[in-house]
Amino acid sequence: MLAGLITRSAASSADFSHLEQARVEFRDVVKQYGDHRVLNGINLTINPGEVVAILGPSGSGKSTLIRLINQLEPLSGGDILIDNKPTRGIEGRALRELRSRVGFVFQQFNLYAHLTARQNITLALVQVHGWKQAAADERARELLQQVGLADKADQLPAQLSGGQQQRVAIARALASSPQIILFDEPTSALDPEMIGEVLYVMKTLAHSGITMIVVTHEMQFAREIADRVVFIDGGDILEVAAPATFFTAPEHPRAQRFLKKVLDPLHQERPD
Amino acid sequence: MFNLDWHGVLTGLPLQWIISGFLTTIWVSLAGMALATVLAVLFLALRLAGGAGGRAVVAAWVSVFRNTPLLVQLLFWYFAAWNLLPLAVRDFVNADHAWSILPGDVWWLTPEFLCSAWGLGVFTSAFLIEEIEAGLSAVSHGQREAALSQGFSTWALFRCVLLPQGLANAWQPIVGQYLNLMKLSSLASGIGFAELTYQVRQIESYNAHALEAFAVGTVLYLLLGVVMGVVLASAEPGKRRKKALTQRAFVQSEVQRDR
Repeated sequence: MLAGLITRSAASSADFSHLEQARVEFRDVVKQYGDHRVLNGINLTINPGEVVAILGPSGSGKSTLIRLINQLEPLSGGDILIDNKPTRGIEGRALRELRSRVGFVFQQFNLYAHLTARQNITLALVQVHGWKQAAADERARELLQQVGLADKADQLPAQLSGGQQQRVAIARALASSPQIILFDEPTSALDPEMIGEVLYVMKTLAHSGITMIVVTHEMQFAREIADRVVFIDGGDILEVAAPATFFTAPEHPRAQRFLKKVLDPLHQERPD
Repeated sequence: MFNLDWHGVLTGLPLQWIISGFLTTIWVSLAGMALATVLAVLFLALRLAGGAGGRAVVAAWVSVFRNTPLLVQLLFWYFAAWNLLPLAVRDFVNADHAWSILPGDVWWLTPEFLCSAWGLGVFTSAFLIEEIEAGLSAVSHGQREAALSQGFSTWALFRCVLLPQGLANAWQPIVGQYLNLMKLSSLASGIGFAELTYQVRQIESYNAHALEAFAVGTVLYLLLGVVMGVVLASAEPGKRRKKALTQRAFVQSEVQRDR
């Protein structure tokens, strides 16, 4: 009771401008839209620097789970602790600081359509982080180099392929050196040929110290790069395991069925 | 057949009046456009960030100024609202100030100029608000989410992400409103503002060259409208983006044809 009061008051004064530890902790997290419950009491701790893949069927609540972290969706119940500080109910400046320390990569890229690749990266650095334009341009140059798009700096999103757009979007999310980066099905909107280039960029980021939470349908990414796999269905975490265990010997029957369908779509029982 | 006498319009005093009226029309249009733009942006920001109260204020503003005749509004500002200003302000405006003379000998610090520019600006802002709003709502939700996820404040989000794209979406209707403002400035002759229409009518009563005077006035409006149209079209935001999209669509259709 008392502890609850103390953490609640800490929330209003929490300083998210710098994270000591890029840890994300879900405590009994509930999300509902009206009467419809999307998440029923999620408990999960993601450690600093860890790469976690969140798997599950469509509509299982996995995107909602990461959108709650930077409050693109408001929480309905429970709390999410970042850097061991509760984030529930923060707003205004504290919320903007938190968001500026957490990168987010969208399924549909969401690059600013009126700005070039370079400007997409520099906009927040100048407008949110108060950088000088020249320094921001230099940072953009480095990041575009890092994602292999140095020659596309002056192209508009409409002039780039989907894979290139998503790589610019990752560079944009990395611009302010966030300690946590969230990926919401980053390859689901891509042509099959372009998935590899985006996964490659993500692979270079993994285990570089940044905490990565990746909602994905890319089983290979989950298997080879993630430290842990979280399987969600129906708003509950059904299994948390190392990828080696999860993909070879999943425990939960629902996870077993999911994997069978995803990994071996041709050979499954006929639907009734 | 009419016997047209251009000489009676394009020399001496009538010519001076026409030039003065034309320049006055240009200046009051520019002032009105600037005012309408600033008001529209402020009210859009208010609607976006001002909560229910802010939205109600904007709705009332749009409703009042969009649904009443401009001439009535101008008469109201000039004959009613003007007299509600403190006497010191009115005396200041009525006094001669050399610094208030714009190029072309147009005085802006006069009750007529101020009421005309204000009336035109307020009227046009009501239309601009709704047209830019329509352009803004065509900006995809993902753009807003991307900016929010990067920690943008509401104002920075509006200014850096939504407004540039909304303006690009709504540019043609916006150009139409600016052109309307220029043409509607002729109604300011109703409050004795010496713009082009006022001066043309003055020629008519001076030497009865009505046809010639109105013809010259019409040509000048037409000329101004065409020039403004070209200038505004070239100032269109996001032109490069539209070009890129068309090129891409073209390339894609070429690719499909190849298959």
